[in-house]
Amino acid sequence: MEQLIGNNLASVAGFRPELVLTFGSIALLVLDLVLRRSRSRRALLAGAAVIVLGLAAVLLAAQSTASTPLFNGMIASDAFATFFKWIFLAAGFLTVLIVAQGDDYPSPRVGEFYGLLLAVVLGMFLMASATNLLTIYMSIELVSMVSYVLAGFRKSDRKAAEASLKYVIYGSVASGVMLFGMSYLYGLLGTFDVLAFAPKIAELSATTGAAGAATKLALVVAVVFVSSGVGYKIASVPWHMWCPDVYEGAPTPFTAFLSVGPKAAGFALALRFFLGSFAGPMGANGMAESIAGIPWPAVIGVLSAVTMTLGNLTAIAQTNLKRLLAYSSIAHAGYTLMGLATLSALGMQGVMIYMLIYLVMNLGAFLVVIVVAEATGSESIFDYSGLVHRHPLAAIAFGIFLFSLTGLPPFAGFTGKWYLFYAVIERASGPAGFWYGALAVVGALNTAVSLYYYARIIRAMFLEAPHVTDRVAPKLGYQLMLGAFSAAILVFGIWWAPIVEWSQRSMVMLRG
Amino acid sequence: MDANQYIALAAFLFGIGLVGVVVKRNMLVVFMCIELMLNAANLTFLAFARRAGNMNGHAIAFFVIAVAAAEAAVGLAIVIAVFRTRGTLNVDEVASLRN
Amino acid sequence: MIDRAEVWVFWVFAVPLIMASAGVVVARNPVNSAMSLVAAFFFLAGIYVLLTAHLLAFLQVLVYAGAIMVLFLFVIMLLTTGDQDFERTRLKVMQVAGAFGAAGVVAVVVLAVNRLGPMPMSAVPSNFGTVKAVGRLLYTQYLLPFEATSLLLLVAIVGAVVVAKQRI
Repeated sequence: MEQLIGNNLASVAGFRPELVLTFGSIALLVLDLVLRRSRSRRALLAGAAVIVLGLAAVLLAAQSTASTPLFNGMIASDAFATFFKWIFLAAGFLTVLIVAQGDDYPSPRVGEFYGLLLAVVLGMFLMASATNLLTIYMSIELVSMVSYVLAGFRKSDRKAAEASLKYVIYGSVASGVMLFGMSYLYGLLGTFDVLAFAPKIAELSATTGAAGAATKLALVVAVVFVSSGVGYKIASVPWHMWCPDVYEGAPTPFTAFLSVGPKAAGFALALRFFLGSFAGPMGANGMAESIAGIPWPAVIGVLSAVTMTLGNLTAIAQTNLKRLLAYSSIAHAGYTLMGLATLSALGMQGVMIYMLIYLVMNLGAFLVVIVVAEATGSESIFDYSGLVHRHPLAAIAFGIFLFSLTGLPPFAGFTGKWYLFYAVIERASGPAGFWYGALAVVGALNTAVSLYYYARIIRAMFLEAPHVTDRVAPKLGYQLMLGAFSAAILVFGIWWAPIVEWSQRSMVMLRG
Repeated sequence: MDANQYIALAAFLFGIGLVGVVVKRNMLVVFMCIELMLNAANLTFLAFARRAGNMNGHAIAFFVIAVAAAEAAVGLAIVIAVFRTRGTLNVDEVASLRN
Repeated sequence: MIDRAEVWVFWVFAVPLIMASAGVVVARNPVNSAMSLVAAFFFLAGIYVLLTAHLLAFLQVLVYAGAIMVLFLFVIMLLTTGDQDFERTRLKVMQVAGAFGAAGVVAVVVLAVNRLGPMPMSAVPSNFGTVKAVGRLLYTQYLLPFEATSLLLLVAIVGAVVVAKQRI
């Protein structure tokens, strides 16, 4: 027992960024009350949130990336988690910058928004490093619970309340199903420790006869149930139903955050869970076979193909930009699942690179939606016609983001897609290669479909005459952010070596 | 007595909760059915904990109860917010977010 | 002998538990649903005692039946308008299909569990499931999730107030 307590105390040293986020979140909630009547309340609160995130970043940078289990194996501190933690910090930081300038969150509410946002960032930190079923459940719940609230923050708005209701119902059902699956995993494997799963599963799958078949069936059902929690976070079919409604109804800055932060956290969790428990040891070629005699890659691959096809086909018919981007984000979850389906080192790297680039391009796309909505009050595609005449920078930046989302060179989205497709094609020469080839073809076809609806927006912006003549005059801060995002997309579309090297270094995951 | 009966009982509870979530129209009752699902999971955890003779299942059941309390608070607050703007508790009537 | 008694007690709790849970779904009036759920929680607590989960049985009654359900009843009283006829509307095809799907999943689970063969209980020490033993586990092994829960409860309270309060 002394040993357990000692481990908890020693683990605090590897937990500093999380502690800063925890106390920062509470401090902001208190500060919100202290600054109730201050005139520069908005700026001060945003500044405080930025300081907290900055401090967390400094401590994260100072932290060793050596793989160590923390808090008696509840979470892991490793290079893999650190990579995703940077993504979450960036997502939180950029969201604070967007909210600070916009009017989506009214001044009396903004302090609570920042406090709760920091709690979500903490939850995502835990999601990326969780190595125990209990921590997985708690971290998903922490992220979800706060997201329900933040999606419905604009209470006067019918849509926001409705979005948050749909979110909370779907989310609670998904987490209930996940919990039920976890209970069977616990029963079959006798432990919560994800790192100890692999040998136990290998042992179980060796049993033969009727009991062996039943064990495998129970194991499959349990894992399918558990993945409902993850699938709901990354918005993959069949757990995507909440996504369009919530994305449309929630305040746009939070929608932007939701589409990049929790999605990346879900993928981090899925990578750790599947590679750590259902993939055997990685071979010399960096590829693993699934154990338990169940073709997990096939299951994930089918899920990936269905998710991207459904997302893209439904996106074609959308006229509301937020809804369109919601379906597009479902499609992108599908592309990213391709990397997971390979169960290979390259696939894992592909997911990491894609989530990093997706952060920039999708936040940028939503930022343009915010800019236009502030000028015209509309999110309809018809109000984007002739945008280039009304504000060239916004139109050009949106064009860059959309081309990047399609995955065309020389934009950064191409780099991300390249690695995902490369991982799938690498698998195509091995066993079951035909199916990997088919997956790659489905992915390529989907990219073509997505070009169709992204190009529709681009055509409206550049080739059509404006229906409305209101000037779009974004605030200077927005313009700077748009410029910076576009520059990043262009630079990393040509010079991607730093991203690739960083992700390469970060592929070290704590193993059992 | 074996653990099987307990686990089968939990599966039935889970099924009742899941069916309730699908068929009930009153959003408050939908939340109650979600509570049933969580309880079914708890029962499974406790049955397996008793079978394996370790108390990890007790720990997670403890956390689930805490999370369920938080979820009920947030969920019911959202129900109140929706009721204010719509004046209904019917999940089917809350559908302005469609194309 | 003790084993026979356990079987009897199990069924004495299990049958009403299933009936009360079914009552949650079948009842048209949300107040009846809530009362059925309270009853279900009590019977479930009995089952927990059979599983020597004494602390959890206690919390089940105290927190679930005591606190959470009171919250539900308050909200029902606050919001119910007397017009509860919408439960009489006909179910859509999708809903019926969903219900059958859910029942099918449960059937598969039950079948798989049955096929696994009997899973005998292990002998447990006398302090199994007591406040002291579980508490020791929570404050050592599971300290991190425990602390995370405290933050979760805090943000849930703040969030609930923000969402539900009319004017801040």
